[in-house]
Amino acid sequence: MINITKLSKVFRTEELETKALSEISLTINQGDFISIMGPSGSGKSTLLNIIGLLDSASDGSYKLLGQEMVGLKEKQKSQARKENIGFIFQNFNLIDELSVFDNIELPLIYANVPSSERKSRVNEIAKILGISHRLKHFPQQLSGGQQQRVAVARALINNPKIILADEPTGNLDSKNGNEVMELLTDLHASGSTILMVTHSDYDASFSQRTILMKDGVILSEKVNHRNVDVLVTANN
Amino acid sequence: MLQNWINTFIYHLKHNKLFTALNILDLSIGIAGLIFSILYWNEEQSYNDWNPNKEVVFQSISKVSPTNTWGTNVLTFESYFKNDFKEIESYCYLDTWYAEKTIQYHNKKGVFNTINAQKTFFEMFPFAFIMGNSKTALKDENCLAISKKTALNLFGSVNVLGKTVNYYDKKLVVTGVYTIPGKSSLEPDAITNFTAERMRENKDNWGSFDMGLLLKLKNPADKDKVIAKMNNLFYKNRSLKWAKDEGISIAEWSKKNSEFEVKVSLESLKDARLHSQIDGYAEGQGNFQFLLIMMALSFLILILSLFNYINFATANAIKRAKEVGIRKVLGASKGNIVLQFIFETFIITTFSILLSLVIVELSLPFYNNFLNKNLSISGFQFSFELIVIFIITIIAAGIFPAIYISNFESLKVLKGNFSRSKSGVWLRNGILILQFAIASFFMIGSYIVYLQVNFLNKRDLGFKGNQVLEIKYEKPFFDLNDPKVDEKLFARYETIKQEISKIKGVSQVSTGVISFASGNSLSSTFNYNDKTILAQNIGVDYGMLEMMKIKLSQGRYLDSSIASDSIDAILINEKALQLMNEKNPVGKVVTLNDQKLKIIGVVKDFNLWGPKAEIPPMVFFHLKTIDWTNLNVNHLFVKVNQNEITNTIADLETFWKKNVDVDSPFHYDFVDKAYARNYQEYINQSNLFSLLNFVVILIALFGLFALASYSVQSRMKEIAIRKTLGAETNVLLKELSKQYIIFCFVGFLIALFPAYYLLNKWLEDFVFRIEISAYPFLFGFLALLSLTLIVVLSRTYQATKVDVLKYLKYE
Repeated sequence: MINITKLSKVFRTEELETKALSEISLTINQGDFISIMGPSGSGKSTLLNIIGLLDSASDGSYKLLGQEMVGLKEKQKSQARKENIGFIFQNFNLIDELSVFDNIELPLIYANVPSSERKSRVNEIAKILGISHRLKHFPQQLSGGQQQRVAVARALINNPKIILADEPTGNLDSKNGNEVMELLTDLHASGSTILMVTHSDYDASFSQRTILMKDGVILSEKVNHRNVDVLVTANN
Repeated sequence: MLQNWINTFIYHLKHNKLFTALNILDLSIGIAGLIFSILYWNEEQSYNDWNPNKEVVFQSISKVSPTNTWGTNVLTFESYFKNDFKEIESYCYLDTWYAEKTIQYHNKKGVFNTINAQKTFFEMFPFAFIMGNSKTALKDENCLAISKKTALNLFGSVNVLGKTVNYYDKKLVVTGVYTIPGKSSLEPDAITNFTAERMRENKDNWGSFDMGLLLKLKNPADKDKVIAKMNNLFYKNRSLKWAKDEGISIAEWSKKNSEFEVKVSLESLKDARLHSQIDGYAEGQGNFQFLLIMMALSFLILILSLFNYINFATANAIKRAKEVGIRKVLGASKGNIVLQFIFETFIITTFSILLSLVIVELSLPFYNNFLNKNLSISGFQFSFELIVIFIITIIAAGIFPAIYISNFESLKVLKGNFSRSKSGVWLRNGILILQFAIASFFMIGSYIVYLQVNFLNKRDLGFKGNQVLEIKYEKPFFDLNDPKVDEKLFARYETIKQEISKIKGVSQVSTGVISFASGNSLSSTFNYNDKTILAQNIGVDYGMLEMMKIKLSQGRYLDSSIASDSIDAILINEKALQLMNEKNPVGKVVTLNDQKLKIIGVVKDFNLWGPKAEIPPMVFFHLKTIDWTNLNVNHLFVKVNQNEITNTIADLETFWKKNVDVDSPFHYDFVDKAYARNYQEYINQSNLFSLLNFVVILIALFGLFALASYSVQSRMKEIAIRKTLGAETNVLLKELSKQYIIFCFVGFLIALFPAYYLLNKWLEDFVFRIEISAYPFLFGFLALLSLTLIVVLSRTYQATKVDVLKYLKYE
């Protein structure tokens, strides 16, 4: 689904040239749940942003569904993003001025989905994520975990091909964090492709594969086995 | 999508009530100002607009001397027009001013604005006929065409064709009832056609510019040909003939009298209201300069309020950054964001326009009163203009902030740390400086206008009239062919004077061919040695000049005890003396009206006309000296005692209604008040300018208030850190206010030159004017600076009192 080869990102200031990413290669297949770990400044967020088409690479190739993304114009990128990618942020990034319903509905609006369909889809996803009773509230009236659920709902509403999560539990306590991770695991189990950046080994252990980055390069990849987790899911 | 936008908008509305309200108020004031100007503009431009002949009908204007240009002409052209002027389709001699005439039908009578015109009048002004038709309505002396209003007033119906009315000693038959389709330079209540006799009498008189003349050309491009032909006729019949009479060659005569060669010009009806050189029609001239000033100033105010909106929107944008970033991540295109913000502007503008219409509707009566007009919010044209204003406002106010906001990079925004970004600061500061410039301009300008008007108010006019009444004196109907008419008129005046003098509280009565309300309209040339001087002829009764406290610089006043003073005595004013170039004028003889008159005194210059007019040469003589001037007496002057004014006036009115004039209303004015009307226009301008100044300052200060609030808000963390590190309040205040003081100063500098230049331009038209000193500038700057400091310091002082912890813990 995603093919990245020799991707580089260089930040230039007047005196300094910093390589945030140097010649990274990575393949993500349909149905993968991958986490990226690494210390601050290792380039993991930059990589996520490039994959999310929020940032552009300096060099190399990034193919999304077989289509080259490097060098695309802002408009085309925006189109590709709209169609394929769902975001979950550490600080949720919900629009404070809009109600939960309006927030979740937003991607559908920009995708020109008719009003009646929007309504039913929002209700459906809210039901799945257990936030139906919160639809009329504003983000700041919710707990962190609930806010992140809203963010997840918003990320999913458009049926994206891949979900990008940037430290989704970073702002949550362990109970709420766990809930969100279980949510992601469920999504994975039902076939979603997920790429997650995290600081937490625990969170990473929910994924299939963990990629470790440092100084702009991929240090190692390991495959996780979480039998316990499967049991938990089975219990659900 | 719309629903989503509206939800966002409502959220912001709820959380920024004060600023949204101020924003709407600010825009609506700006729009209201423009609406006021447009209403005024529309009306002025609509004069004669209905008239299909406005391009081909011309008024002939005669320049008879360097200082005298008249909207009248001699009555000699008729036969020439008929034979030699193929360019002319028709012509019409008429009186272009209203005479207030009494018309009576059975017991009902009224005074109506009447004009006297040849039968071709309706070819020039094709009024709509309800009864009768334009061809026959004025076919002879017995005809009377009246407006629908007059008909209803006099008869109570419009079905009045053929009815006979009394018109002084005549009986006239109503031959037409018309309505006037729109604003017109002539809007008479009634029209008569007493022209044939006058035309016959004056058909060879090339010296008496007695009536207005309208020409309808077949092709307006022939205008210059017609002018040339008319000028040529003047040359043949005046210059050539007079040279011959004097027995000198035409070259010699021209050299001596070049300035008295008549120059005709033609002015189309289209230009009559706003672009005419003279006040040539009864409905008067519009003040084009004032109109332009109004339009320009109201645009300036609208721009100012648009600036505020833009400034507010871009400052507010920081708060919206996160929202915009998320929207973009979720798939909103740039265009979509732009649309969203323009939509918000659209809503705000809609509210503003509605509010501005309310403002206009509520204050229209005052505005009408002030302009002496009857404007209303209506009409197709106005609706169209309103829509244009609406669209322009949305574009001007909305596009820029929308594009600015849509350009936020979502990544930066979402990573946080955007709120202290410097982006857009240069623009906001630039706009602020411009606002300071506009505000300075208004401050300085309105102060200079105020000083000038104050100067006019306080100026010594050369006469005093606070106890003197100027009473409109409608002379009895007289027969011009009666050789004794002049004598009779004077005798009648003498009788009235004697009677009035008996009324308690009246201390003096006199008259003259003079009006302090409307000036004097009688002028002719007099000769001294070989000089010809065109002077205002002011025939007076004894005591007139003394009563008005008009001073002499040499000689003496007219004296009733000296017999010759009513035969051959004359006084001149200083201006005339100057032109005569004579050191010892008293005792010298001048020729006026073919009479030799001896100068007995020199009158100090005083002004009869408004502050824009030069004082012309004037001569004064007793009404009996040149007895036909009695025909031009239209006012009596009565001095009353200060302490019983009310009773005296009441008595005067009773006497007047009973003995002098039964028909017309008793119309009087205190002379000083009557004269003040000459410059009322400027007092109004000054008041208007002060009002606009107030509005401008208000808008500018509001802008400053909003911007200072935002600037302080975005620097809260900085302030908190500084405070923690030990900064004292006054140091902080200085730090925070410094930039605004600099902006204020820069704005003032920008306004300096335009203010000086434009105000000087405005002052140029005044003969009596102040010189612009540094004082208004200093005043403007200090006033603006103190207002700025008040606003900024109040905001910053609040900021220095904040809870430090709140801002340091946050983020």
